[in-house]
Amino acid sequence: METTHASQADRRPALGDLGPAVEIEELTKRFGDRIAVDDVSLTVPRGVAYGFLGHNGAGKTTMIRVLLGLTRASGGHASLLGLPVPEQRARALARVGAIVEEPSFYPHLTGHENLKIAAAVRGPETRQRIDGALERVGLDRRSRDRVGTYSLGMRQRLGVARCLLSDPELLILDEPMNGLDPGGMLDVRRMIRALVDDEGRTVFLSSHLLDEVEKTCDVAAIIDGGRVIAEGSIEELVADEAGELVVECDDADRALALLAGDPAVRELRAEHGALRMKLLARDQAGEINSRLVAAGLVVSRLEPARRSLEDRFLEMTTRLEVAA
Amino acid sequence: MKLDLITAKEMIGADLLRLRKKRGMIALALAVMLVPLVIMTGYDVVKHASDPGQYPPAGGLNNYGRLLDLLGVFMGPVAAVLIGAEAGAGDLAAGVFRDNVLTGRSRLALFLSRIPAAVAVTLSLTALAFAIGVAATFGLAGGLATPSLSVILESVAWLALANSVLCVIALGLASLTGSRPGTITALIAWELVLSPLVVQATSLGTLRRGLLDSVLLFLKPGPLTGPPGIPMPVAVAVVVTIGWLLVLPALGAWRMQTRDA
Repeated sequence: METTHASQADRRPALGDLGPAVEIEELTKRFGDRIAVDDVSLTVPRGVAYGFLGHNGAGKTTMIRVLLGLTRASGGHASLLGLPVPEQRARALARVGAIVEEPSFYPHLTGHENLKIAAAVRGPETRQRIDGALERVGLDRRSRDRVGTYSLGMRQRLGVARCLLSDPELLILDEPMNGLDPGGMLDVRRMIRALVDDEGRTVFLSSHLLDEVEKTCDVAAIIDGGRVIAEGSIEELVADEAGELVVECDDADRALALLAGDPAVRELRAEHGALRMKLLARDQAGEINSRLVAAGLVVSRLEPARRSLEDRFLEMTTRLEVAA
Repeated sequence: MKLDLITAKEMIGADLLRLRKKRGMIALALAVMLVPLVIMTGYDVVKHASDPGQYPPAGGLNNYGRLLDLLGVFMGPVAAVLIGAEAGAGDLAAGVFRDNVLTGRSRLALFLSRIPAAVAVTLSLTALAFAIGVAATFGLAGGLATPSLSVILESVAWLALANSVLCVIALGLASLTGSRPGTITALIAWELVLSPLVVQATSLGTLRRGLLDSVLLFLKPGPLTGPPGIPMPVAVAVVVTIGWLLVLPALGAWRMQTRDA
């Protein structure tokens, strides 16, 4: 781990200050008549965990494959670490670690041997990072076992270790939580946060698991039908545009009667012992509190309603389906 | 990403590692060479032991000729095909090809590093089988004549050529098709069934010089056993060998460049 941290601290500046980690402009990928990625534009800033969220078949993996030069785009531009791809793909990929779909290994070789092979392809300078990478993902004790005996979670972690061999500024992880049990998910989530928070790397994580993106990422884009339908910080994405407020007090019925017909309140309902209301303006929350307190009610909770990313995702994709 | 000598050496070493650790394949490749050798020699030993007046000792030149046929014409090429097919399509089968491509390393470099590794494994196994066969040739010769050192050295060179070429052809075909079973089936059927028949088809005349088997039989050092070779100028033999060495690997390399990872 020491080696990895030290090399991050000494990060070469050559590619470091050339722009966002990932920049995509009007990217399109067609398979015959079918459009898998449709005019996608997005920017991944450096030093964040960026979630690329969409259900299965939404176009996430296709876009990642285009981005990594595994297949050619039908139109648009992309760059990794400031370097245009596919034009400067080899130079960019030297500083990128990626897992597409699921990490694959030679099952008859040990974890250590598999990384030795990956290091040989990367270049001799990466060999010295093998032990550190295995330790980093918690596989140092099992590194001499054949990969055929590994669980899926262990293979996912070994995949991340293989990514770390290049001391990457950017990690692109396609569905890294797929097939993991809750403990495995927690391990991967912690590992990703440490890669971002402690080591300053950028992680681009595609997933259909909304909860995991919400818990792991700082920023996210939602893709549906090959198009990005929303992008922003997790806070922004789950924020309630309608200004919904949740209030809990000692007498919900009296509070309901008091606020019914209030000109500041557009909608009001009682739900699980609390009141949920939509206000005409978000800054009217203080006035609501004052009215309740003035009426002798004890307010124990008053906060903007926060929906989950899942609610938001479902709302957005449903809206699109209705529009279509 | 430049490919320097150190990296090339490391990549070849990596391919060597994945091949030599494939224990099932190594065992099978050794078995296809050694089991027939042991059976044939063992049979001769038993016959000689049961009636030394009628049956000669199991070693000597006759045994040596059969050894060359076995390792250079029949089962040696089968072993070479097994190894070449694994080298050519093993990373595709395991899914590691995509991960290797994701390093940014050129696909041609990824392809080329397979060749010396596969040939090294093929030659190591052939050498082991040959050493055992030569030991039997001398150890069980009784009073029979044995091959001279020059014949042995010529044989080593011929076996190396025959099995290396087959290994590289299999590697090229496996890289082209992406299929190990398909490559093994096609090449073994060609080597053991179709090609020997075509070599014997006199109606094809000099066209048969284009067959790898014709060239290898022509180049085979004495003492000869098995089917006779087709006479041809050495230059033709060289051109045909180089042609076989280049065509399928070139197609395999092209497919590696264009294959959707």
